[in-house]
Amino acid sequence: MNKREIAIHVPVLARVEGEGALDLHISGDRIDHLRLRIFEPPRLFEKFLEGRSFRDVPDMVARICGICPVAYQMSAAHAIEQVFGMDPGPWVRDMRRLFYCGEWLESHALHVHLLAAPDFLGFPTAIAMAQKFPEEVRRGLQLQELGNAIVRLLGGRSVHPVGARIGGFSHAPSPQAAADLLARLEAAVADAEALVHWVASLPMPDDVQAFTCVSLRHPNEYPMNEGRLVSNHGLDMDIRSYRERFSEFHVPHSTSLHSTLDGKPYLVGPLARLNLNMDRLPPAVAKNLAATGIRFPSSNMFHSALARAVEIHLALLEAIRILENYRPAQPHIAPTPRAGVGYGCTEAPRGFLWHRFEMDGQGRVVNTEIVPPTAQNQARIEEDLHRSLLAFGLDQPEEALRLRAETVIRNYDPCISCSTHFLRLNLERQ
Amino acid sequence: MKPLVLGVGSPFAADRVGWCAVEALQSRFGDALAFECCDRPGAHLLSFLRGRPCVAIIDALLGVTAGSLHVLQPSDLARDAGTAVHGFGVADALGLAEALGDLPPRLVLIGIGVGAGEVLPEVDWDALAAQLTNLLA
Repeated sequence: MNKREIAIHVPVLARVEGEGALDLHISGDRIDHLRLRIFEPPRLFEKFLEGRSFRDVPDMVARICGICPVAYQMSAAHAIEQVFGMDPGPWVRDMRRLFYCGEWLESHALHVHLLAAPDFLGFPTAIAMAQKFPEEVRRGLQLQELGNAIVRLLGGRSVHPVGARIGGFSHAPSPQAAADLLARLEAAVADAEALVHWVASLPMPDDVQAFTCVSLRHPNEYPMNEGRLVSNHGLDMDIRSYRERFSEFHVPHSTSLHSTLDGKPYLVGPLARLNLNMDRLPPAVAKNLAATGIRFPSSNMFHSALARAVEIHLALLEAIRILENYRPAQPHIAPTPRAGVGYGCTEAPRGFLWHRFEMDGQGRVVNTEIVPPTAQNQARIEEDLHRSLLAFGLDQPEEALRLRAETVIRNYDPCISCSTHFLRLNLERQ
Repeated sequence: MKPLVLGVGSPFAADRVGWCAVEALQSRFGDALAFECCDRPGAHLLSFLRGRPCVAIIDALLGVTAGSLHVLQPSDLARDAGTAVHGFGVADALGLAEALGDLPPRLVLIGIGVGAGEVLPEVDWDALAAQLTNLLA
């Protein structure tokens, strides 16, 4: 029997946007203690929003995340428009889907190329990987830039865009700007197809697990801005009923709330979305994925990277489809504030983002709840770490255990810990 | 192609100084140079470098005397960008550009000291303009 005891304390998850740590204690062939600690101070955005006009909300919630501001703007806009009884119409609906395509492209391309791929290919950093795989990294950066360009088209700028408003957008892009961007997107289709095959060929661990997937599901399209919440275990609910089955709670080691569905951890994000919405992929995307030989739904958590590549392909084709038919129109409808409660739920790159807004009769926020994907995945990450490290073998060298733990965490692309080689170890042997 | 002067920063406190520098320099150099500002660009920085013969990057230097000017080398920058998006800061972006062969033939890095970073420092913009003129000569 393996008698080795290892205590791995990672006091600071460095080089990340948020602040967290990993504690791991191994005794022989069992894990005694495993905690992904999140100690970043609460950011209190929900309280900041109270009393603010609906006009302020899109720009304020965009500041919650530098990578997925569109998701926050969209979930908030849908929730407030539900309160006001607004339907911004098909033009706004299309542009919001285009906006979201930009965010998926930008976020997924960044994660696949600069954060995840170095793990699978055995490089300590993306910079080291770029020396051996320059064309692949260059391709990834170009896809990321296309995502930024889409967000700029509608949002004015790619970081914390300002173009979204309750009721639509501040402006309609010119036909020329849309046509120029369309040409760039069309030129990148072959790159996106090749990316899917490249990611499918990466040497990923074959770590099959049982887990619950949750995402939005739309009657006839791959979900971004709308849908019902579904799972692979029978969940099928209106987003307004979220609190009936999902719970958020504090744990001592995290300032981020943990979430459970019927008391159990669950997965949100690209793998969950793809597993639950394979039949909503455009035919060209489904055909390209099928040609890789990897079948979905997949129970290999590391196929999250492939799911991101598939969603890059999908987002590119969706953006092209929308821009091919682009005509400028009145970019927004005028809101008429009224009191009430509304809900918004959209698919951020890392998973569904649920909002609840209560507004007063003057259009001011009374209170709000925001449930981000990284918080929802936190319990699942801990569960995954347990299973993955056991499957990997606790008798592996300590450095290998650390790297596998990092790889597992990074695979979720969590906002608090999505940098490269972010674990700084204080290792104790007993 | 004109040399590009790129102000890197964010809207917060002294981190804005790179953007202020671009504003001050633009009023002095006018159309002789190209100017851009970007908000914590991460890997997006490469899109400003690619294909350009000359780029000058101006950014805030935390922990350095407020208002002081410093000409830097890429190796002077710490690759530990705690406040950058995904921890991928200017130094990482330049490292990636170098690995991909995308560094411009002439790259100028100017840091402006911002002390503890809590307030926008007073800067001698004429001195910065003179320094930039010398570096681009």
